[in-house]
Amino acid sequence: MAKARNACLLKLEGVSKTYRGSSTKAVDNLNLEVRSGEIFGFLGPNGAGKTTTIKMIVGLLMPDNGRILVNGHDIVKDPVSAKKSIGFVPDEPNLYNKLTGLEYLNLVADIYGVSTAERTRRINDLLSMFGLTSEVSDVIQSYSHGMKQKLALTGALLHNPPLFILDEPMVGLDPRSSRLFKDLMRKHCDQGYAVFFSTHILEVAERLCDRVGIIDKGRLIACGSLDELRKLSCETDESLEDIFLELTLPEGAE
Amino acid sequence: MRHRLMSLILAQLNMNFAISHSRYYYIEKRQRLWEGVLIVVSILMGAAVLSFGVFKLADAFYSSAAVIRQEALTLITGILAAQFLMLILGVALVISVFYFSSDLPTLIPLPLKPWEVLASKFAIILANEYLGLAVFIIPIFVAYGMRADIGLISYVLSSIIVFLALPVIPVAIASILSVILMRIIGFTKRKDMLTTIGGFLLVALIIGVQFYMQTKLPARGNEQEFMMQLLSQANSVVTLVGKQFPPGIWATLAISDAGTFKGFMNLGLFLSVSAISLVVFLMVGNRFFYQGVVFGFEASVPKRDISDVKLAEPQFPERTSLVALAVTEIKLFSRTPVFVLNGFIGFLMFPIMFVVLLLMGNDPEVAGLWESLVVMPEFHSIGALIVGAYFFVLTAFSGIPFSPFSREGKANIWFLRSQPVSGSTAAMGKALGAEIMILLGSIPGVGVFQYIARLPVSSLVIGFYLGIVSSFALCIWGVLLDMARPMLNWTDQQKAIKSNLNILISMLISTAVLFLLGFLVYTLFKKGYSGLVAQVTSGAVVTLLLASGLRVLRTVGDKLWRSIEL
Repeated sequence: MAKARNACLLKLEGVSKTYRGSSTKAVDNLNLEVRSGEIFGFLGPNGAGKTTTIKMIVGLLMPDNGRILVNGHDIVKDPVSAKKSIGFVPDEPNLYNKLTGLEYLNLVADIYGVSTAERTRRINDLLSMFGLTSEVSDVIQSYSHGMKQKLALTGALLHNPPLFILDEPMVGLDPRSSRLFKDLMRKHCDQGYAVFFSTHILEVAERLCDRVGIIDKGRLIACGSLDELRKLSCETDESLEDIFLELTLPEGAE
Repeated sequence: MRHRLMSLILAQLNMNFAISHSRYYYIEKRQRLWEGVLIVVSILMGAAVLSFGVFKLADAFYSSAAVIRQEALTLITGILAAQFLMLILGVALVISVFYFSSDLPTLIPLPLKPWEVLASKFAIILANEYLGLAVFIIPIFVAYGMRADIGLISYVLSSIIVFLALPVIPVAIASILSVILMRIIGFTKRKDMLTTIGGFLLVALIIGVQFYMQTKLPARGNEQEFMMQLLSQANSVVTLVGKQFPPGIWATLAISDAGTFKGFMNLGLFLSVSAISLVVFLMVGNRFFYQGVVFGFEASVPKRDISDVKLAEPQFPERTSLVALAVTEIKLFSRTPVFVLNGFIGFLMFPIMFVVLLLMGNDPEVAGLWESLVVMPEFHSIGALIVGAYFFVLTAFSGIPFSPFSREGKANIWFLRSQPVSGSTAAMGKALGAEIMILLGSIPGVGVFQYIARLPVSSLVIGFYLGIVSSFALCIWGVLLDMARPMLNWTDQQKAIKSNLNILISMLISTAVLFLLGFLVYTLFKKGYSGLVAQVTSGAVVTLLLASGLRVLRTVGDKLWRSIEL
């Protein structure tokens, strides 16, 4: 069911995380919101805290402070309800190698309670879109990296999640699949859902995202539409890459 | 500059024992240092208790053997048992370490000869064998050395050398057989399935050969005369017993006759044959190893045509999360050769041992005694308890329910953790999957036992109740332990199921529970209570064990689940 426009699907309030044994905060007092109909790009240099943030949103890590609400559900207090609203694909699509693609998709559908008719329709549509139909009965062990990525994306979209969370989703996809996937993200948001993804490919973020957030050393240093970010710098014709490099300049660098 | 082989071996040992990893987390980062200390102290304490038990047993054995002037039987029994176990269990270990290590794609492209990679992997296996062997064989050597009249220095030196060489021959034999097996399987399409079947066939072959060698002992008709002849010479039985595996004799005589020419010759013989077996293995490995590995990288299941799939039709009926997780658990376990070879070995060994007992039991006297025993009501009560204990023992020693989250590894655990399932559902799915596998695996053994014992249906039903409930209780507690401290960092699948401390802890606790239950039953019988009382008491204990496990799961399951951070 499509969400009402502008409903808040993801809200992070003062979220912090420090790994055990470390003195620095991986994520420091992070606040952001992602609303329905929005593609949100999450950018940052290596080690900035992108993956840590994503892991906290999907419940793989617990925040030390703050609150994460997914579609109104607290990921710490009510993880099952929150996770039901999420479709997640990690940066490394390590799937169960000994299952066939179809067995994997059916497992996901069972966990999310997708009806037989609905899962059959969606599996058919998504596999055909990604050109994976002829391989779906093979064991995942025999898949290439890109095929695993496509299967993981298919699994994550199977229950039509209100919030689609992706860590570096374009890595491993061939140009055609990448284009199809971008179209799919837009279509997903047009239904009133939202997409939150991290990427290093700034051109993709620039072209695709309604808003972007830039994180550096665990802190959100900029957040807004491209136009809003341009206002942060003095020049109005700067690309996202220029803005990103300007904002994330290492200390002492010129 | 270190030789590249030495570098490789040191790097492999470092990874195997997680030396740098432990140093980084426990010492530099000081993360959960208490856990590291606790683990080391627990292992040392457990090893000390086990070693002391073996020492007392060997000491008692020595006393009995001394009466018939066969003291060295203490040594040969221990040495043969150790070598036999290393040979049987070595097959799964070798297949796992040689062919299913995650570092192979890194090692193969390096400018190393196949035998060098194999030698480094062989070193890992030896190092692991030494750990188990130390607990078992050193107390035997000590017990013998304290009683026998041998020079201390020569005895200690010989013992150390024999200890170090002891695993070489059995592991080399298991390695040669495995390398050849994997080369043959490389030609086929269903590699995973055939690796599992081939591995089990190798184990069955080894047990079969062992059994055949034992039947080569003299016929029972001449037994009295033969025994008299044997007992007239000191330690002559050693030669007879060791005939099934001559290196066992050489190793024994190298120690028992340490400091003499005979001892020195036997030590030389033992070391020479060990060295030769290692060289033969490396030569065979150099020829076949890479071929087997490279074939293994290929898809292991034949691709099906899409017409077989009929995607347009519903493929599977909807299942609840719990059922889906249990079914997936069974599929993932049963399709991974290393897990099956390690986890199901007991399912195979116990029925084979029963069958061997059956085949050997052709003595009319024993048969008559057995016939009169199986009709006794007391035997039926005990039989039901044996059936129950069999399920329990198989569960405890399979390792299946004690490593379900560890087996997922760091690579796969993200999936389940990010899904909308509660901790208790995830744990229950794993426990259910494990229980189903154990029940199916127990049936052959129970079947053979039932064939011998001919228990009435009522006793069988009681036995199944005790077995299923106790086994499921172990599954629940085991899954809980693995959830509390999953071992997610591993390079070999073998480590997840064999070198996993959760399995060791669970086995020790299970053994203690079994002993306590056994003691309880024994006490009841001794005090004159009927078999029914023993059964009801055992039933109550295992039901309580299960109920408390379920309760703990419901209470802390979600908390433990959340504590698995990635």
